[in-house]
Amino acid sequence: MTINYIMQQLVNGLALGSIYALLAIGLTMVYGILRLINFAHGDLMMLGAYVSSIFISATILPILFAVVIPTLLMALMGLIVERTAYRPLRGAPEVAMLITSLGVSRLLQNSTVLVLSPQPRAFRLPGDLTQTMNVGGIRFTQLDVLTFLLVIALMVLLTLYINRSKTGMAMRASSENLRAARLIGINVNWAIGAAFVLGSALAGTAGFLWASRYGIIDPFMGFLPGVKAFVAAVIGGIGSIRGAVAGGVILGVAEIGFVGFLPPEFSGYRDAFVFSLLLIVLLVRPNGLFGKSEVERA
Amino acid sequence: MLEIRNLSVAYGKIVAVSNLSLTVNEGEIVTVVGGNGAGKTTTLRTVSGVLKPRSGEILFKGKSMVGLSPEAIVTRGISHSPEGRMIFGRLTITENLKLGAYNRKDPSGVKSDMERMFGMFPVLEQRKSQRAGTLSGGEQQMLAIARSLMSRPNLLLLDEPSLGLAPLLVEKIFDVVVELRNEGVTILLVEQNANEALRISDRAYVLETGTVTIEGPSTELINNPMLRAAYLGLD
Ligand SMILES: Nc1ncnc2c1ncn2[C@@H]1O[C@H](COP(=O)(O)OP(=O)(O)OP(=O)(O)O)[C@@H](O)[C@H]1O
Ligand SMILES: [Mg+2]
Repeated sequence: MTINYIMQQLVNGLALGSIYALLAIGLTMVYGILRLINFAHGDLMMLGAYVSSIFISATILPILFAVVIPTLLMALMGLIVERTAYRPLRGAPEVAMLITSLGVSRLLQNSTVLVLSPQPRAFRLPGDLTQTMNVGGIRFTQLDVLTFLLVIALMVLLTLYINRSKTGMAMRASSENLRAARLIGINVNWAIGAAFVLGSALAGTAGFLWASRYGIIDPFMGFLPGVKAFVAAVIGGIGSIRGAVAGGVILGVAEIGFVGFLPPEFSGYRDAFVFSLLLIVLLVRPNGLFGKSEVERA
Repeated sequence: MLEIRNLSVAYGKIVAVSNLSLTVNEGEIVTVVGGNGAGKTTTLRTVSGVLKPRSGEILFKGKSMVGLSPEAIVTRGISHSPEGRMIFGRLTITENLKLGAYNRKDPSGVKSDMERMFGMFPVLEQRKSQRAGTLSGGEQQMLAIARSLMSRPNLLLLDEPSLGLAPLLVEKIFDVVVELRNEGVTILLVEQNANEALRISDRAYVLETGTVTIEGPSTELINNPMLRAAYLGLD
């Protein structure tokens, strides 16, 4: 095992982890406010990937469209899902929302099957994005670099927005104490809507990145990454954006490491490995890496 | 200013408030006393629009408030400083105050009110960029009151502001309440500390199991033998 091989796995892990991070941000924002594990989140990534594929095949348009349009459309989609599926359940037991999110997830998957096709389809990036570069023996693509830079930029923007804007302030207050936020007259529906819009937009971006990376899309591609991203959010400390990013990167690197460094007969257990990682973190640090302890929460 | 008529509120099957009527006139301090679970907090939360009444009317400045959202009610001039303070501990003191003014559209007015709050509670200014969770209990109570004042309310609902505070701070809180009334804010005060509350208020209501059992001017209630035994700890 050479140092190059290790670096190679690291690059691959970072690229996968960046996508988990994008998904985890949306999950952690929504969970922070509503205590909802949004199982439909990964399916928005799937829809984003399909939307992206339309713009990829229309080669006359610049590639930028294949990133921006799914991002915007999924932002809208997140808002629609929140309004129609989750908002009517405000005040209902949390488990009602949880089950609804499973239902929404199924609905999105099966609608895609119905409207398009259950068959996987190829997703081919034009141009140089997937061309491999070789720097000191480590191979990566422009896409890997783009993924990484995009995730960093989006995270910085989002953090600024949440820390500086009025809506961001309302989101943080709602996340800390939803009842108090309502009581003092904060428009919590607005704050919740913002969490869905921002998170779903990132899921749309992730759709493009995921599809570009694996070159194939299908109606069920989103579910497992969505669940794994939730694991990442918990590892990082649920409710924390920094935590979601750190958790996503850690999970991506660990997962690739598991496949890359253990004998090939283990690689079938990569999903099991991810979930055992969750169990271990919950045992050692129940609040995750960046989580607030209950005492601090006051 | 506030008129509650035959209000009933329930949590599922548990009826917390039944057939309660209560009036607050402009410029008054009105106290509500009553034992644990009497329905005081429930009444305030219903006025704020967080709970929906099962039946009854809530009129504010002659208009019905039932069915309005909490933010609509804040905008109309009712503000609520909740039981247990409920400040946002992970946000800074300044942010907590800004959120109290969430529905206001006049940034310069918000700014000058913030200065006013800092004048009233200097400790908040000294620590304005710190997380509110680092404040002591009494300071958090001051922040909760200041936050509720940031919406420029005509009517302030105060739920047990002196709970858990040292005697000196209790004095300070009651001084603030009187000062606010003198500035023109009408106040509906829920207090376990009935003695003090009756001393500063104009009228008072006694709640038992969700309904009013005694009402009258505070000076009368202070000498009511039943009340003295049950809530004032004197006999
Ligand atoms: N969220 C809730 N769900 C169910 N029952 C509740 C809820 N909140 C309050 N109750 C019940 O309603 C009744 C009135 O409660 P409330 O909090 O209004 O009393 P209170 O007068 O404010 O009491 P305290 O002085 O202890 O604050 C009590 O019997 C209480 O158990
Ligand atoms: Mg109470």
